[in-house]
Amino acid sequence: MTKEDKHETTRRNFVQKIIAGAGVSTVAAATYGLSSKATTPDASERRAKQYAMLIDTRKCIGCHTCSVACKAEFDVPLGVTRSWVEYTEKGTYPNVSRNFLPRLCNHCRHPQCVDVCPTGATYKREQDGIVVVDSGQCIGCKYCIQACPYDARFLNPVTGVADKCDFCIHRVSKGLVPSCVNSCIGGARIFGDISDPTSEISRLVETNPVTVLRPGKGTEPQVYYIGADHSDEHENKRGWYDVRVTTHRKEKGRR
Amino acid sequence: MYEVPWGLPVIAYFFLAGLGAGAVSVSGSVLLRKGGFGSSRFAIARCGALIGPLPVMLGTFLIVFELGQPFRALNLFHLINLSPMSIGSWFLNIFIILSVLYAMTFMLPSAAPGDRLAPIRRGLAWVCVPLGIGVAIYTAVMLGAMPARPLWNSPILAALFVLSALSSGVASIILAGVFFRRKSSDPAIRNDYENSTYLLITSDAVLLGGELMVVFLFLLFGQLTIGDVRYAMDTILPGGQLALPFWGLVVVVGLLIPFFIEIFQMAPKLLHGRKFRSHVPLEIISPVAILIGGFALRYTLVIAGQISAPAAL
Ligand code: SF4
Ligand code: SF4
Ligand code: SF4
Repeated sequence: MTKEDKHETTRRNFVQKIIAGAGVSTVAAATYGLSSKATTPDASERRAKQYAMLIDTRKCIGCHTCSVACKAEFDVPLGVTRSWVEYTEKGTYPNVSRNFLPRLCNHCRHPQCVDVCPTGATYKREQDGIVVVDSGQCIGCKYCIQACPYDARFLNPVTGVADKCDFCIHRVSKGLVPSCVNSCIGGARIFGDISDPTSEISRLVETNPVTVLRPGKGTEPQVYYIGADHSDEHENKRGWYDVRVTTHRKEKGRR
Repeated sequence: MYEVPWGLPVIAYFFLAGLGAGAVSVSGSVLLRKGGFGSSRFAIARCGALIGPLPVMLGTFLIVFELGQPFRALNLFHLINLSPMSIGSWFLNIFIILSVLYAMTFMLPSAAPGDRLAPIRRGLAWVCVPLGIGVAIYTAVMLGAMPARPLWNSPILAALFVLSALSSGVASIILAGVFFRRKSSDPAIRNDYENSTYLLITSDAVLLGGELMVVFLFLLFGQLTIGDVRYAMDTILPGGQLALPFWGLVVVVGLLIPFFIEIFQMAPKLLHGRKFRSHVPLEIISPVAILIGGFALRYTLVIAGQISAPAAL
């Protein structure tokens, strides 16, 4: 977490106290919004660890090994997924393409799941920027599941609490790479600290055209893609070319 | 098809909490209002105060058991943060306690405008009105806070929910009046009854008029914009999956029919100064229609918000 973020946090705590004291939530929310914009960080302040992932979709062969490795690593129950790979098929024969889009939690810089969590169970770790769910605190209200613009979260049917990818904290805190990265057949997944200019991920993000998903939602995702096909079934309405998305999840529709 | 994390229990809670909070807020504001309509105001206030807490508590019970971990519900009260659900839970909690106390001040058969409890009752009314509005509004703020759900992501939802909550509250008071008032041939009591019904019907018509305008603006802006919101709006615009319940139950049954019935009932007195005549069948039809519409409003919007998604990936 950067110094700027820390300022925001203290300010937030302060605002929370105001609310607790006076219950003037709207005024407080407005003040919070205004004051957090007033901070302009300089480059030296930005240095704080943020783990990130870069997925080079040109190297992905859509084999689902990452998803299987993730399932095995966490005993993720049937029917729900921390990691999944979408297929985007486009065009009419003979002009066709099929692209793969591996998906997971984006560990956003501005995670809305954290903003809406009423218990504080979901939070962004200061030490490495990983967004986690404290399964001992979570009440399973599903608000975060609604708020995530990437459908990265689900209610774990076994524990009854919110669950999602945690960047394999238990591995990365010991210096290993996440399970999905470790197992990726094509070497498509690069993991590292994006705030460190010497890291491989920083170098690759700097030297390649990269995109993130739904940039317009303001979440600032920390999972970057090279060569991702952002085509979506909404485009079928135009009637120019066909797009078919297969999510390989219980929910057939992508969001 | 998308999964719908918030299903019927949540929808029922939104409706019941709105109805109960609306009834208490209406009761409190009628009690605190100065001048006009004499003792009929007290009867209305009593009715609303006694109705209010029950649906709110029932709804709360429903959502607690909709949680993935119901027995941890108290974790909500370990802290307060800027999450609308956190602030809303505190509102709800305090509202339930105070509205029950407020209802208790009306429970003695001897309860009357100037009795021993009057100052306490007025004090509680002063607190319960804003709290009730808070309970009715926070559900919409909670939905509106998320760019991930474009249909909900609008401040106008809050106006819609609060007007609908107040109008459901008034409807439940009218309905309770029809069923629980003691029939009497005493002209003074009859007159009182007619007065209170007139007061309720006129206030309700104003609320419904406001709600119609807000629904119109909601649809208008959805229709005028492009992108995520426009795509999401398609689910309730003609041809969409939820168009039928939205237009049929929310707009026609829940708003237009009761609005015109109420206008028809109040017009003779309002326009020509004739005496208002209470008409029991109409006083059953329009509140029931309003309650159906209130539930359908929560249902269609909560479901439509979840089966639509941002357009571009
Ligand atoms: S992808 Fe979703 S769950 Fe993950 S941090 Fe971002 S908003 Fe939260
Ligand atoms: S489901 Fe759990 S983590 Fe998600 S918002 Fe509710 S309490 Fe927070
Ligand atoms: S980082 Fe770990 S938890 Fe996340 S998708 Fe990969 S294997 Fe699953």
